[in-house]
Amino acid sequence: MKGDTDRELVVFTEALKVPIPERAGYLELVCAGDENLRHKVEALLKAHDRLGRFLEEPPPGTSME
Amino acid sequence: MKRIEQPYHAAAAHGGLCLADHENISGAGQVDELCSASLQASTMSDATVMLAAIGAGDSKAAEQLLVLVYDELRRLAASKLSREAPGQTLQPTALVHEAWLRLVGDKTPAFNDREHIFRASAEAMRRILIDRARRKHTQRHGGEYHRVDFEGFDLAAPAADDQLLAVNEALDKFAIEHPIQAELVKLRYFAGLTNEEVSQVLGISVSTAKNYWTFARAWLLNEIQSQ
Repeated sequence: MKGDTDRELVVFTEALKVPIPERAGYLELVCAGDENLRHKVEALLKAHDRLGRFLEEPPPGTSME
Repeated sequence: MKRIEQPYHAAAAHGGLCLADHENISGAGQVDELCSASLQASTMSDATVMLAAIGAGDSKAAEQLLVLVYDELRRLAASKLSREAPGQTLQPTALVHEAWLRLVGDKTPAFNDREHIFRASAEAMRRILIDRARRKHTQRHGGEYHRVDFEGFDLAAPAADDQLLAVNEALDKFAIEHPIQAELVKLRYFAGLTNEEVSQVLGISVSTAKNYWTFARAWLLNEIQSQ
């Protein structure tokens, strides 16, 4: 299980460095038939596109100095 | 050592959040005013004892340290909010550093002690902020008013509180699969540490810390939005 979850992190991080048009091919290659992993990473990449300032502002009721 | 045996915190002992609407944060500040000096002396030695125990592999000591840090941060937060103008916001980084000074003094701490204190502080800050967001949520939805909160949190939009609760819930799930990355979220988001500070506490490079942070944000957003 630990290995799986680490792969999610590693593949996601590496995929971000790959130019967008080549990402699908990259995932195909690196996930090598592991559909579960590919779907997880695809969902994360989509979420990454919509991140905006998510979690970059301090929690409500708090501020930075 | 007696203070840490207070019953808070059956919830804390299980690593969960404190759900009980126990004493108000602003009430705790007055106690602080009265006996700050003697408390400081005893908490400082308590913290030192616990840090030594953690170093020696005592697994309960980390939880005891957390309770101590939680109490200290809550007291600091309460006295800040009661002393200053309404609408005042908390500054987690400043609070954490102040708690640190009060618990350990100003001697340069050993690396491991620093790590333990910051981890405990981040978890404690999380509990404080989540407790308040929960209380406000309950009050908005017709829950009982135990007393009127005298605090600076009321300016925060309800939507922001609800998002905080959603983030927190997603973070619990995230921690099961990715404990180190979840720790990083607590340090950065709840305790307000920078990437550089976080990397020191977790013993990772700054670029790894940045990668973890990006991964964590994407994971949490995906989790929240797929609910």
